[in-house]
Amino acid sequence: MARKRNPARLIVALSVAAVLAVFLLYTSIAGGGTPSVSPSELRAQPGTISLVGRVQPGYRGDSYAGGLRFRLRDIKGGSTRTVTVLYTGSVSDQFRAGREVSVKGELRNGTFVAKKDSLVTKCPSKYTAKKTD
Amino acid sequence: MSLALLLGALLAAACVVLVALPYLRRDDAPELLDEPGELERRRLELAEARDRALAALKELERDHRAGRVSDTDYRALVGPLRREAAEALRALEPRAAGAQRVKAPPPG
Amino acid sequence: MPELGRAALAATLGLALYALVAGAIAARTRRRRLADSAQTALLLTFATTLVATLVLLAAFARNDYAFVYVWELTSDRLPILYTLAALWGGQAGSLLFWLLLLTIYSAAAVLLNRRSSRDLTVWVVPVLATVMLFFSFMLVFVSSPFATQAAPEDGRGLNPSLQNPYMLTHPIFLYLGYVGLTIPFAFAIGSLLARRTDERWIVTTRRATLVAWTALGVGQILGSKWAYEEVGWGGFYAWDPVENAALMPWLAATAFLHSVMVQEKRGMLRLWNMLLVILAFALSIFGTFLTRSGILSSVHSFTESPIGAWFLGFLTFVVVGSLALVLARLPLLRTRAKLESLVSREASFLYNNLLLVALTLTILWGVLYPIVHEAVVGEARIVGPGYYNFFLKVFGLPLLLLMGIGPLIAWRRASLRGLGAAFAWPAAIALATGAGLLALGAGSSIPGLIAYTFSAFVLASIGLEFVRGTRARRALAGGSWPAAFSALVGRNRRRYGGYVVHAAIVLLAIGIAGASAYDTVTESRLARGETLAVGDYRLTYTDLVERQGANATLLRARLDVARGDDELGVLEAGKNAYTVERQVSNEVGIRTDLLTGTDLFVIAEQINPDGSVFLRVFVKPLVNLLWLAGFVFLFGALITLWPDAREQRRLALRYQGTDVPARL
Repeated sequence: MARKRNPARLIVALSVAAVLAVFLLYTSIAGGGTPSVSPSELRAQPGTISLVGRVQPGYRGDSYAGGLRFRLRDIKGGSTRTVTVLYTGSVSDQFRAGREVSVKGELRNGTFVAKKDSLVTKCPSKYTAKKTD
Repeated sequence: MSLALLLGALLAAACVVLVALPYLRRDDAPELLDEPGELERRRLELAEARDRALAALKELERDHRAGRVSDTDYRALVGPLRREAAEALRALEPRAAGAQRVKAPPPG
Repeated sequence: MPELGRAALAATLGLALYALVAGAIAARTRRRRLADSAQTALLLTFATTLVATLVLLAAFARNDYAFVYVWELTSDRLPILYTLAALWGGQAGSLLFWLLLLTIYSAAAVLLNRRSSRDLTVWVVPVLATVMLFFSFMLVFVSSPFATQAAPEDGRGLNPSLQNPYMLTHPIFLYLGYVGLTIPFAFAIGSLLARRTDERWIVTTRRATLVAWTALGVGQILGSKWAYEEVGWGGFYAWDPVENAALMPWLAATAFLHSVMVQEKRGMLRLWNMLLVILAFALSIFGTFLTRSGILSSVHSFTESPIGAWFLGFLTFVVVGSLALVLARLPLLRTRAKLESLVSREASFLYNNLLLVALTLTILWGVLYPIVHEAVVGEARIVGPGYYNFFLKVFGLPLLLLMGIGPLIAWRRASLRGLGAAFAWPAAIALATGAGLLALGAGSSIPGLIAYTFSAFVLASIGLEFVRGTRARRALAGGSWPAAFSALVGRNRRRYGGYVVHAAIVLLAIGIAGASAYDTVTESRLARGETLAVGDYRLTYTDLVERQGANATLLRARLDVARGDDELGVLEAGKNAYTVERQVSNEVGIRTDLLTGTDLFVIAEQINPDGSVFLRVFVKPLVNLLWLAGFVFLFGALITLWPDAREQRRLALRYQGTDVPARL
């Protein structure tokens, strides 16, 4: 009787192929991630993008009534360009001037209109190499 | 500050002494470590094979008694397993005896 | 005193270096005294690292702000427990804590095995020493906890979000887990270096692996509870890279723990096991690299620090070195046994491996994608929870089902009749449960319904196993049902402890499905006296109160909770304003229904000057099963860990020298 080939190799190969197939299918449908830009890089572009920046002093409004308006600037680098964000929804207590935040939305008529509840505020630094805040 | 340095120096010294201890002691044990030779490695492999075969048999019995394995399946599986266990035991016995002979000190 | 700390760490570095060099030479040339000397050096690293740790703890205890590290993380008003726990609150201290745990694990591993597995231990010593060398090098030259300054009046204080009991426990468990994975890795590498073909390294490290895996699991549950209660956004897991950093090694370790059973029983999957243990260890180092280097944007922000580059270098060395060794020793890892059938327990373990590794790698890809994309294309990207949740369902649901199938399938070859008989009851129960849930409205989430159906299948098969086993035991040895049950579990701790752990995972799955697929959320602004309805509950905002806490002002909205005709009491939600740190924290109100495990979760998003509040309220069914699962998990793991005298004797007999004849 002919010796049966070890099916384990076949299973592994098929599984890898299956995983890759599912993967490719998913990324082609759902897209690979959301673009993340800083205020100096922001241009009008289709689709939702994630804007990451540092909150500038002087924000006003109520995120639950009419919207919170704040300005973002690049976290790093010398650009002085600020972007005004109009945001509605949940605001973390960590939110304040000087904190790094990210928010999803799109640029409309010069203002970045944010998706509801998409504001994420970074915790202040846990491991500090130098003094911040 | 000097207390800290003193303690630090003591710590370092203690480490050096303890680490050097095997060389400072009088020791009559053989210098070379026993390493499992080819024979011993083979014996270990066979011992593991034996344990696997015996455990598989025991597990089959337990599964059959608990009703996880039907009578038909049990009859089909028990034969080959018993043969495997017997082979593993047989393979181990002469080696152990042979290895023992090799280990015995030469006369004189 | 900082000089003593620095000296102690320098001593650790020196000892680790000696243990590596001398140990490697001793193993290669089989010099006994040199090997003993290297082993002593490895054991001594525990003493010297302990001295360094005690110096730092003493500095914390007396609020010595001349130590920069103490100043950064504590203040005079900080309670003593948080002061001491600040040991792991910052970069350098957490490295020291890691090193301390590593020296403890290593000393235990070496001491327990110095006589029984001497020829394996000689190779394990230099491997452990290499890892120790890296961490002590970091502590001496790159990130020292003993930097000093002119002592200021008071410290900077601990971030209020870290001042809770979770800060005292979650990091300990996580670190016990991460560091513990070094032990099976070291023994695996040692086994390859020693050119061994037996399973000694698995048998020896089984307990250490279990301890590490359990600790990592418990640590993650604690982390989730922390996020749920203290961070309070309504969720318990955000697929943040830092969270994934703990999940990935745990998944790899889960695959490893299961896969070694196959090697034990059939001598198969030997290459798999080597690769899995390397993967688990590499992921634990990768995880800590992620959280320290600042290379990824994460909600938990850690500053970019040069330490990242060092960790990356070490990780590269570990991965490349280990794989090269595996390649060189490939002939040793060949198996004689073959997979006889695709429908067998061996095969289901193989599928288990594949699914777990696939899940781990997809999570890894999700974590790395932003970095890769930015490096290659130049544009930054973010991977959201949608990606992770999709693959969790794709791989997690089959894994759930496999948990029920695996234990019921026979080794080698399962006949269809056998399968039919084994699965009849669990399948019937599962289908009935699924149909019942569908009737109750669970069809609103198909993945949720599938998860519940599979869970019913697994729980039924576990229950059946316990019943069948107890019945067989009773038939064999007589006695009462409870006696037979405890005898059954006592004699088969690994199997039945494992079943309890599986039950815990099922509870976890049910809790996750309930809380994420079947939850309700409502939000509204309420003035005093107004009511909000969510799910079955009605909340009436009665009053706003302000209290003085130890180091904060507590502002709370009081809510009367009712369901149907029942008054369920008062719930409070609001904010804390910390005086010294000048920070505000969110304090959610949670009301747990003990009967159904459902939580009423209230976030006071905004408290307005006119006394009105903006509330977001969740009803989360079954979420408390997650925490229950944590306890069951721990309980099951303890059962499997419990020492078995008979098994120890059998193993000792197997591995004794040739001067003992082979006795059954």
